[in-house]
Amino acid sequence: MTSSFPRNTLTGAGSTVPVRRGAAGSKQRRELTLIWAFLLPSLLVFFLYRILPLAWNVILSFQQFSLFGESKWIGFVHYRDMLEDEVFWTSLWNTLIYIASAPIGILLALAISLMVNIEIRGRNLYRTIVFLSYPLMTVAVGIIWRWMYDEKVGLFNFILRYLGVIDKPLPFLQSFEWALPSILLANVWQILGFYMIILLAGLQAIPQNLYEAASIDGASPRQQFIRITLPLLRPSIFLAFVIGIMTSFTSFDLVYVMTQGGPSHSSELLVTYIYKAAFELSRIDYAAALTVVQFVLLVVLTWVGNRLSGGDAGARETG
Amino acid sequence: MRKNIAPKSRGVRRSPHWPLHVALIVVSALMLMPFYWVLKTSLTGENIFVYPPSVLPKDPHPFYYVDVWYFIPFARYLANSLIVSALAIAANVVFNAMAAYALTKNFKGRGLMMTLLLSCMMIPFQTTIVPAYLITGQLGLLNSYLGLALPTFSTIVCIFVYKASFDAVPRSLIDAARIDGLSELQVIMKIMMPLSTAAVATNVILSFIWSWNSFLWPLIVVREPQMQTLPLGLSRFLTYHENTTGALYAFCIMVLLPGIAIFLLAQKEFIRGLTSGATKG
Repeated sequence: MTSSFPRNTLTGAGSTVPVRRGAAGSKQRRELTLIWAFLLPSLLVFFLYRILPLAWNVILSFQQFSLFGESKWIGFVHYRDMLEDEVFWTSLWNTLIYIASAPIGILLALAISLMVNIEIRGRNLYRTIVFLSYPLMTVAVGIIWRWMYDEKVGLFNFILRYLGVIDKPLPFLQSFEWALPSILLANVWQILGFYMIILLAGLQAIPQNLYEAASIDGASPRQQFIRITLPLLRPSIFLAFVIGIMTSFTSFDLVYVMTQGGPSHSSELLVTYIYKAAFELSRIDYAAALTVVQFVLLVVLTWVGNRLSGGDAGARETG
Repeated sequence: MRKNIAPKSRGVRRSPHWPLHVALIVVSALMLMPFYWVLKTSLTGENIFVYPPSVLPKDPHPFYYVDVWYFIPFARYLANSLIVSALAIAANVVFNAMAAYALTKNFKGRGLMMTLLLSCMMIPFQTTIVPAYLITGQLGLLNSYLGLALPTFSTIVCIFVYKASFDAVPRSLIDAARIDGLSELQVIMKIMMPLSTAAVATNVILSFIWSWNSFLWPLIVVREPQMQTLPLGLSRFLTYHENTTGALYAFCIMVLLPGIAIFLLAQKEFIRGLTSGATKG
């Protein structure tokens, strides 16, 4: 912004100083049309694939959907069905457990980002290695981790048997207790680097002279961490947390590839159940009702997270 | 002796670095372990009836990579993935730039637009799948490249990446260009984009990675085998040839390589895109 030379903007294109009424008026109208024309393609995409679906989900959830005939209004029937649907409750509970991957991942990432924030040789290499798993195709990650968990020749079973922790091979992904935690671990592995990047950006934004002043005043490294680093890092931690909640809520690919939600729904998440209801059981309307519940839960959780973090520092800025 | 004195004189409080390196090497090894395990299997295969599995690759050979070409129409999947990614990249680079340029201007409703975009960010794509499927069906775009790419034609994060870069271009430069007779579209193409190569790169990379990795949407939209993209092919491969150990993991590696290569080449742009939302709106 060259606010010191406002008079240079003779044509008034985009400037806030209207030069003359009349001629400038039509020019401004033309510019306004142009602005909206520029926004149009993006807005159209967001309308078609974000806003309209959000509204349509709510409408569908109160309807009996029929692909060819008229859809009928049936009120709260789907929501009442949901209360008695055991798979719904299982997947809801599993989704809430699965969210634990966010705090676990953030804690690990915090430790790692504190280490790679120190100026040591090769820190860029360490950062790259930790981050490498994030941009990978999640389907492939799921297949890789299936292999790691393999009952016969998987790495986990091999190590655990070698160390003598277990004497029989453990069928991680086929067992009721271990399927969900196993997927959760794979999820943490993939997203760890992302948390690290967010936290590193936060760490680097903390002014160094705060630490200098604190150490002159005789604060120990631990005190500096608790009194300076943590409070100033809070917006970043919250941002990572909100994104973490959103990714765990929507972690379809991993579950689909690793267990398909099984065995018998013990690793079913809401998102996989919604997919199955809509596209395998052809219950489009019921799936929409499930989505409404999922979305409300997501909004409530991020809002609560926001409150707990003590402000709206990161609320506007989620990716 | 001099070597020992130098670091000490710089910082008295500084603790030695080797425990840090040990910790970070352990972390790195844990992060890389899955890659190693799969790479090993893709080169040697694995007899699932023999225990223990070999930790080091024994007689590595590239034949499983060749098998992939015969087991499945790999070239077809690859072409589909590339076409969809190319569509998404082209649309993102152009549409996001136009939207971002509009948002750098002062106009009535700008605040509302910003709020709208930021709230749209809070709607994850996965919560829109059911109506999005119906809408795409209404548009007649099921089983088509356009249908696969359309939902990713514009990305809010990428608009803000552009906007941050466009905001830094001096107003006087744009006004001078306007006086010289350039249209607004030419201003974007000839002034804004060349001055924002980093933002363009971020747009290209993010939209490529997102489109390349996308699984749920193709799973819903594509019913015909010829239209399947690589992630779909991979998941199909898993259900049909689960026990052909070597080839499945060779396929995995082949699919992961482009993503890894692009990420390593353009790490800075990629990370800038991800953190732009974290540092400023």
